[in-house]
Parts: sequence; structure tokens; C-alpha cells
Amino acid sequence: MKISYQWLRQYFKSELSSKEILSSLPLMGFDVEETKILGPPPMEHVVVGEVQDFKSHPNADRLRLCQVRIDNDGTCYSIICGATNFKQGDRVMVALPGAVLPGNFKIKKSKLRGIESEGMLCSANELNISHDHDGILIIEDSIEIGTPINSVYSNTDIIFHLEITPNRVDVLSHIGLARELVARFGGSLALPLIKTPLNESNGHIPNTLLESLELNATSDCFEYNTLCIEGIKVTSSPEWLKRALESVGLKSVNNIVDITNFVLHETGQPLHAFDADKIEGNSIIVRNAIDGESITTLDEKKHILDKSVVVISDNKKPLAIAGVMGGADAEVTNVSSSIIIEVAYFKPTTIRKTARRLGISSDSSYRFERGVDPKGLGYAMHRACSLILELAGGTVVGRSSLFSNSVEAKASLDVNSISFSLKKMEAFIGFSVSVEQVKSVFESLNFKIQFGSSGDWEIEVPSYRGDLSRAVDLYEEFIRIFGTDKIPDVGIKAGAINASDDPIFKFNQLVGSFLTSKSFNEAYLYTLRNVDEFKYLYGTNSQDTQFLKLDNPLQSDQSHLRNSLIPGLLDVLELNYSRQNPLGSFFERGRVFRIIDGAVIELISLGFIASSNSSSRSWTQRDAFDFYSAKSIMEDCIGLLPLNLSQMDWVPKKESSLWQPEHSATLGSLDSLSFEAEIGLLNVQNIKSQWGISDPLIAGSLFIKPDIFGNKVVQPRYKTLSNQPASCKDLALIVKRETLASEVKRAVEFSIKSLIQDFNCEWVEIFDVYQGEGLEDNKKSIALRMQFRAHDRTLKDTEVNALFDAIQLKISNETNFQIRK
Amino acid sequence: MIKGKLDEIVSEVKEYAPNLNNRADFDVYKSTISGPKGKLTEIMKLMGSVPKEEKPEMGKAINLAKQSIQDTFSKVIKSIEENELLGQLGSSIDPTLPSPELEKGHLHPISQVRDTIVGLFSRIGFAVAEGTELETEYYCFDALNIPADHPARDMQDSYFMPKTSSVSNVAKKSDERYLLRTHTSSVQIRTLLEEKPPIRIVAPGRCFRRDTPDATHSANFHQIEGLYVDRKVTLTDLKATLDHFVREIFGVSAKTRLRPSFFPFTEPSFEMDFYSPDLGKLSNQWIEIMGCGMVDPKVFESVGLDSDIYSGFAFGIGIERIAMILQGVDDIRNYYQNDIRFLRQFPDSIA
Repeated sequence: MKISYQWLRQYFKSELSSKEILSSLPLMGFDVEETKILGPPPMEHVVVGEVQDFKSHPNADRLRLCQVRIDNDGTCYSIICGATNFKQGDRVMVALPGAVLPGNFKIKKSKLRGIESEGMLCSANELNISHDHDGILIIEDSIEIGTPINSVYSNTDIIFHLEITPNRVDVLSHIGLARELVARFGGSLALPLIKTPLNESNGHIPNTLLESLELNATSDCFEYNTLCIEGIKVTSSPEWLKRALESVGLKSVNNIVDITNFVLHETGQPLHAFDADKIEGNSIIVRNAIDGESITTLDEKKHILDKSVVVISDNKKPLAIAGVMGGADAEVTNVSSSIIIEVAYFKPTTIRKTARRLGISSDSSYRFERGVDPKGLGYAMHRACSLILELAGGTVVGRSSLFSNSVEAKASLDVNSISFSLKKMEAFIGFSVSVEQVKSVFESLNFKIQFGSSGDWEIEVPSYRGDLSRAVDLYEEFIRIFGTDKIPDVGIKAGAINASDDPIFKFNQLVGSFLTSKSFNEAYLYTLRNVDEFKYLYGTNSQDTQFLKLDNPLQSDQSHLRNSLIPGLLDVLELNYSRQNPLGSFFERGRVFRIIDGAVIELISLGFIASSNSSSRSWTQRDAFDFYSAKSIMEDCIGLLPLNLSQMDWVPKKESSLWQPEHSATLGSLDSLSFEAEIGLLNVQNIKSQWGISDPLIAGSLFIKPDIFGNKVVQPRYKTLSNQPASCKDLALIVKRETLASEVKRAVEFSIKSLIQDFNCEWVEIFDVYQGEGLEDNKKSIALRMQFRAHDRTLKDTEVNALFDAIQLKISNETNFQIRK
Repeated sequence: MIKGKLDEIVSEVKEYAPNLNNRADFDVYKSTISGPKGKLTEIMKLMGSVPKEEKPEMGKAINLAKQSIQDTFSKVIKSIEENELLGQLGSSIDPTLPSPELEKGHLHPISQVRDTIVGLFSRIGFAVAEGTELETEYYCFDALNIPADHPARDMQDSYFMPKTSSVSNVAKKSDERYLLRTHTSSVQIRTLLEEKPPIRIVAPGRCFRRDTPDATHSANFHQIEGLYVDRKVTLTDLKATLDHFVREIFGVSAKTRLRPSFFPFTEPSFEMDFYSPDLGKLSNQWIEIMGCGMVDPKVFESVGLDSDIYSGFAFGIGIERIAMILQGVDDIRNYYQNDIRFLRQFPDSIA
């Protein structure tokens, strides 16, 4: 909201400077977004001068060398000027050396093309008088030479652009803000004198301009007042009124329209003026619109209405959209001679819905939808009437007031009284204050205090403070006016609380430090992904494409909830490749969304990505990042979860658009294990076509159902260790090429487990895989080493060999694996 | 005669053995001396033919020779072993060559700021809570006293899921719609419903607004929600706690002020501003950093707590905003591009 400092000072009389007021506003809850100075600010060494003579600059055709007299003694300054819009004898504004113009533009003597200039002739724009910068400012001859600029232009104004929170509709006016300043700084509110008091009225008495007035929309309009004035003269507004409106960013239309706008910005109560001659049947009806009815508003836009919208209509057509904007049909123009002024109270939610539905936000709707002062209508009407009679003449021929009988409408006029206890407030704010301090704050806010016998107070708040209804609202008012800077500093209350960090957070912390130590950089990507990417990767008809779509995306490249972190990480690689950056590996921790049984599920996720070329450009060679690197990282991350997995059995991926089949694998299942992991090479063709990256990329993706974090982890228990010597055996098995190592290992472990007695097998590890010469084409050899140890003795070769023979026999007999001798 | 031969062998070993420089040659040579057919062994075999009275002297001489040869061999084998060890070392290093290993990765600058903030609240007894990014209108708005016709609930401002969507692990209150949460304040409600006071949590997380992206707006951003509910929590506690935050983040020279404001879920509500003399371009001006306030009685009502017994405060900090101030980043989109040169500007350290 824009507030004019000059306008404000008409109601707030005080010695305070504009700076003091400005710096106090934020601490009262009114944030200052911007301040702008209208008109010339206070300036020294800028005076009226007269051009005595001028000639062309000897070294520059476009410049004039002028002699300018700046006092009656005949003192002349020699000034060079680029403008040509002046003649000998013109009076102009001269900035002399030492002057500082708006924008911190300092004037000093300086040479222009070899000749000294002792100042500057100013344009209106340079002096902040207007935006006119065509040539210099020529002023009226009657103004005496030597007059300082601020005596010529005394109406400098400061415009505050304030951000008023939605609860404070009472401050959306100059009087409203002045009232707050009085509360904060003391003094009294200087309300404008109303010269033409109107008689109170209730109901409608027909008059020459308005035969009938009906209030039908009683649940949306609580009060409807009209004022009928005949014989007015519509003209342009006087300067003071034009300037006032311009200062708050409004254009002057004519005296009647300007007065309604002025009173709105003065009191906060919206008003509307109709040309009485354009109202058919001399009747006004406040009613809900008929579905499909249309109106063209003052901004020349046509709106189709429905019954949720309230209109002001005559016998035939809507004249205005209630509380939002008037219609073009009953507009007050230069030929209007009779007018009807409307001052009403419309229900805030009705106006809010209408404004939003029609996409209109007007000064009126902005205030109505926040709830104007239900008892402020009369004052606004009196004020408008007084100004109209003063500026446009005419005679009041009628005044009507209709009230809704609805419970809500009546309640809006009830006196708002709140119980208050000083003790409770002190307990809430945490420090002591005196009765006097509280009393003084409340009285400054025009609260009426009744001291009860029990120590509680009854506080009656003014009708314009509809935002106050509870004791806690009064605590806020107290603190606001008392000053938040007076809240004392106390120590931090930090008694222990029996709670620990959410395990999801702990897991992410561990993953973060683990992956950064593995050279991965953390990336942050957007949650919303492109619909085309979904269609490409998963197909138009896939569940993810259909069910992860937002109802109201803003743009098509942000239409779907991500179901994996990998595409985002691919974007990161793409960007870094395109910028010729050093190759890096990346990870992200974040939420992703999947569809299970037709329902969305939000999952905790981890993704990482690395190029398998990442170490190729180095003076000494290192192994490339490959599938097995990703496997180790992923298994370590899964190991941080509260799971008791005895084994991680990875299964090769067969078909995938994101992963390269047969070069990638999955583990786990969201359904049965509450987690799922994918690792391996990304689909080389799709990555090339969608992201333009030809390097083979290795990635990992982990999805976790949050309920996993509710698992209890079994606390490991110490097992005694044997210090006896260990004994190893190697076993090579020839198996079919497609046999998975895990199957071979499990078979060996099973054999050992079923045969071993008296001592232990500590581990079985695969240490070699071979295919090629000496083996059939469709076979490979897997070599395993196993280590045995007894708890109480050195193992004898004979007992280890006996077991090993038995193991081999069992494997030969019970599996298709062949012992390689 | 035997003695002469012994002397001969000893001096031969002393002369020849030190020239041996690998284990294989050494073993071959050693067997020519002390192997089954070695020279020394041959001589020892002669002992049987030595007259009885000469035997003690001869035995002594053989032992001395054996000892001497053994000493020489020990020295030689030790020297060979040392040479073998040194031989494994390869050529000498150049300490100025770069390591081919990848350097340590970095946490994202937003994560770093988040962890710093979480850490400083952790030290004064706040535990970390997590919420979901998908929320329902009830938990995101209604329970926080933001009624259905409130401007913040305009369809224009939030990303909604289709009316028919169901989310299996985000509970609804009744038949309200799902949306991407617009603030982390929804965690306040979920926590207050699940736990009993005293409650002291910080909840970092991702939020969404349906804004056209620009230098200060991003389709998603991050907040840290704070909530403290107990008996006798006061406005002075709010101020003390948030002053602690500002001093920890911006240094002890930073000043704060509470500027009255309005949020439906707190009363009184404030924006906290801070002012610091050492903040580069942003020095010596009031800068808004978070919204905060005392929990509104309506919020207590919606979670079934009695506001006559309990009170509390809540605050919401925009992580990107703090990060941009601390790191001097002037366009929020930098954080979501992940240019590795950008990420590497912010190494994590204890600072």
C-alpha cells in the first residue's frame, strides 16, 4: 500500500521527522518495501536565475555559453548548457557549485571543451519535479530571481510503499496509519472536519433519484447505504486532490470519482458513485447474479457472472460487481448531473471468492475481502458528502441505510470484548510489566478497559480491529506497541529432552560422509521432472507417467514427481560436460515417489553416478570405476540401514530403459524387504540419445520405505576368538557360464555346513573366475578358498583333508558342478 | 694337514661369499661348502681317521672354522635380504606429482548450512524430526489455522496432486487433497499429534511453491522448522533461542530485532531481522532471516492440547536464504545446477 507522507501528516500532527517515522514503521509491523521522493528534496545552492545572454560555444556547435544572473545585484555566472529550449530573459533553475542534486549528483566548476562552466541549468527531471527531461525547466517570470528552489516548490512528498499483513485491514488507509502512529508516539488524531452533517437514516425513503432500494443478498451484504445528490457539476479536480491521488499512484478522473477514491485511501472504506440518470427504473437491487449474466466493468472488460457473485443492479442490468468494480453502464462522466453514492459492507469471503474467480483485484476488493470497519461506513459517507458538496455543489435529496438481518451480519456489529489477565500475559511473555505500562499501551490503541473485581480485565476493542478476539491477540498488541526491543535477554532454557534424532536423518548423515569420502560430490536437483522424460523412459501408459503427474504443473518440464534420482544426476553430468568441467562423480540424497498397488508412496532415496572413464587422464593408471565399485559402495550404504541381512543376492537386470541389461543388477524388494537397490551401467543407448553422453556411466540407486527405520537392530554380542593356527583349502568348480557365483558359493557353504564337526569354517571366498582354454565353451571355472580353524587345538592335516574330500564328494554327487583337478 | 685345509676353506669363504648378491647363487655356493658333498662336510668326514689324542684339538679347530664360515654366511645373507627389500622399492618418488586419486567429495553447500543450523539447535536440546514432502491440505493448512479461503491456499500457489490420488504412507485427515508441502510447518502438526510435550524439534526439509523461477525463487527450496512446546515456554525463550541462532551463524557482533508480523499459526508473530558489521556488501543493514512466533491457540486446539497448560514457539528458517547470505551467492539457481566448480568452492570443514 502506498502512503503519502504529506497526506499522512494532515492527521498525524507531530514533531517527528519523516526519518523517525520511517524507521519506526517496521517495528510496528508495517514493513517498508520502498520509499520514493516526489518533488525536489531539500537542496542548497539551487536558485532561480535569469538568462541574460547566450552565444554558441566557440568549440562546440551544440553547446551554448550563457550568462545567468542569480541576484538583483547583477551577479552573473557563466554556464554552459546543451539545451536549446530557452531564450534571453527566461527564468530558469540554476544549480551553482556546491549543490547536490537528486541521485547524489554533485555540481562543481568544470571545463567543457576548454571553457569553464560555473554551474548547471537544470531540467525538471534532474530536480525530481517531473519526468520531463526535454530541455531545461523554464519557470514563471513572476518568481523573483535568487529564490531558493525549495521556496518555489514546497510540496515535496515522500511515498512509503508499505507491506501490510492481511490481518491489518484497519491500516490500509492514511487515517488508519496515522491512528497507529498516535498509539506509538502519542498526540491526537486530527480527523478532517466534516462540514455538512447528514441526518441519521434507517431504511429507504423514496426520492427523486432513487424510488426503490432493495437488499436481497442478505448473507453477502451486511449493510447498504446510499446518498443521492442532485445538481452536481462534474469537473476536473482541484490540484490538491489530483496530487493526493497521484501520490498513491491513481489517475485523476473527475471530481466525483476522485472524491470516492480519496475517501477510500483516507478512511479505508471503499465507496462507489453511480450516474443516477443511467439507472433504469430509479431502483437499485443488491442481489446475487443470475448464472450467465454479464457485465462490462470500468476497465472495459466483460465478465460472465454466476450466482456466487453479488451485483448492484437496476431493474434491467447489473450496474456493478459488488465490492469489486463498477460497471461501465452507470459510470459518472463529465455530463452527469445526479449521482448516487454507495457505501456498503460486503462479506469478506464473498468478495475474496469473486475477486479470485474473476481475476480482478481492486483497491475496493482488497479492503472488502480483508473486512472493513463495520462501524466506519457512516463516517466515510459524511466525509464524501462534505467533499462533494464543496467541490461539485449539488443538493442531497435522499439518504438510505439498509441492514441485513442475518445472524452473521448482526454479530459483526457486536461490541468486541475480551477477558484479559495481566498475570497470564506475564506468564506468556516471560517478564513483568506494570499495570500502568499495559494500561497506557491499551489506551493508546483506543481499547476500553474495565477492571474486574477478580483481577481480570475486560477489554473492549474498537470496531475497526476485527483481527482481535482472544487474550493472546492483546498480548501481541501490547508487545507491538510496548516494543519488541524491550523483551529482556534471558538464558536459553535447554533441559534435556528424552528424544533422539530421526533415524532417516542419521542415515542420511552417515551416507553423506561416506560418499564424500569416496570422492562423490553432493548434488541438489529439482523434485519435479519433465513429462517427456517420463514418456521416454517409462512409456506414456506406465503407472508412473500416469499417477506421478501433478494436477496443476506450472510448466511441462516440471510436471512429474521424480521416481528416481538418476535422471537428475544425469543432468548434472550433462551440464558439467557441456562446460568442459573436470569430471566428477555425484550423489544425491532425497525423496522420490513410486506407485505401488495404484497408490503413490514417498520413499527415502539415494543415487550416485560416476563415469567409468573418470581416471583415464592421469600420469599413472588407476582401475576404472566399474560395476563392482558401485556394488561395494551400495552394499556399504545398505549396511547402514537397520536391517539384518545375512546375504545380499544381486540379480542381473534383464530389461530396463534406464539401466543396461546384463550389466546392471537389483537387490531387495520394496514389497517384501522395504528396500530396493539398483546398480550398474546405465543404458548406453538411451543415455546417449537423451543426455548426449557417450561415456559409459556407472550408477547406483537405493529406495527405502521409511517404515524400515522403525526396525530394531540386534545389538551385536561378543564371540570369543580362537588364537589357534588356521588352515586353508582351495576348491575350483567348473560350472555353466550362466551360473551365478552366489549359487556356487551357497552350494559350497551348504556342503561345509552339513559336514563340518569339531571345528569351524571361518569363511568361503571366491578368488578366481576363469573361462577359456582348457574349458568347454559354455563353461567357466570358479575358484573358492575356505579357511578352517579349531577353537582348542592346531588342526591336523588329516582331519582337514578328510573334511575337504567329503565336501568335494558331496558337491560332485549333489550338484551339476564339476571339481576341477 | 686338516687344519691347513680348514684355514684354506675359511679364507676362501671369507673372500668369495661377500661377492654373492642373490639368494640363488648364495644357496648354490653354500652347498659347495656345507652341503652333503661340501668341502667342509668332506673334511668333517675325515674326523674318524684322526688319532684319538688329536681329536679334541681337531674338533675344536673344525668348530672354530664352522663358526667362522657361519658368521660370514649370516652377514652375506643379511646383506642379500636387505638388497632384496630395497629392490622392491622401485624408483624414487616425485612428491610434486599430483595424486591420481580423486579428491574428497563435498557435501552440497545447502547441506552444509543445514547441518550447521541443525547442529547449533542440537546443542541446546532440539532433536531432528523428519516429515514428508507430500502432505495433505489439512496438515499443511487447516491444522495450522490457514482456512480454506485463505490466499495462501490459492491453487495458484501450491502444487496439487490429482483429486483421485492416494498416498499410502502419508495419512489424510478426511477426504482432503494431497499437495507438495509449501512449508515445513506441517511437521509441527504431525509431531504434536504423535508426541507428548515437552517437544523440542527442528525439522529440515524440502518445500515447494508454484512460483516462476528467478534469482530468488526456485520450484523447490529448503526450510528448517523449529518447535518448542512445554509448560511455561515464554516469549523471552523464543528471543533467547533465536538470538543464539543468529550469534552462532553470524557471529557475536550480530544484532537482532523482532519485527511484528502475521502468520495464522503463531500469535504474536514476528519476522526476525539481523544486523551485522562484518557481512561484506550486506553489512550494517537489517536483513530479514526468518519468521517466528508463539504457537497460536488454534494450533493447540487442532492437535488436542490445552493452551491454558501448554505454550510454545515455532520458527521457520529458509536454508537457501541463509546460505546465500553466508556464501555470497546472488542467484538461488546456482544451487540446483551443480556445476562442480561451484560445489568445490565450498569444502566442508570445521570452520
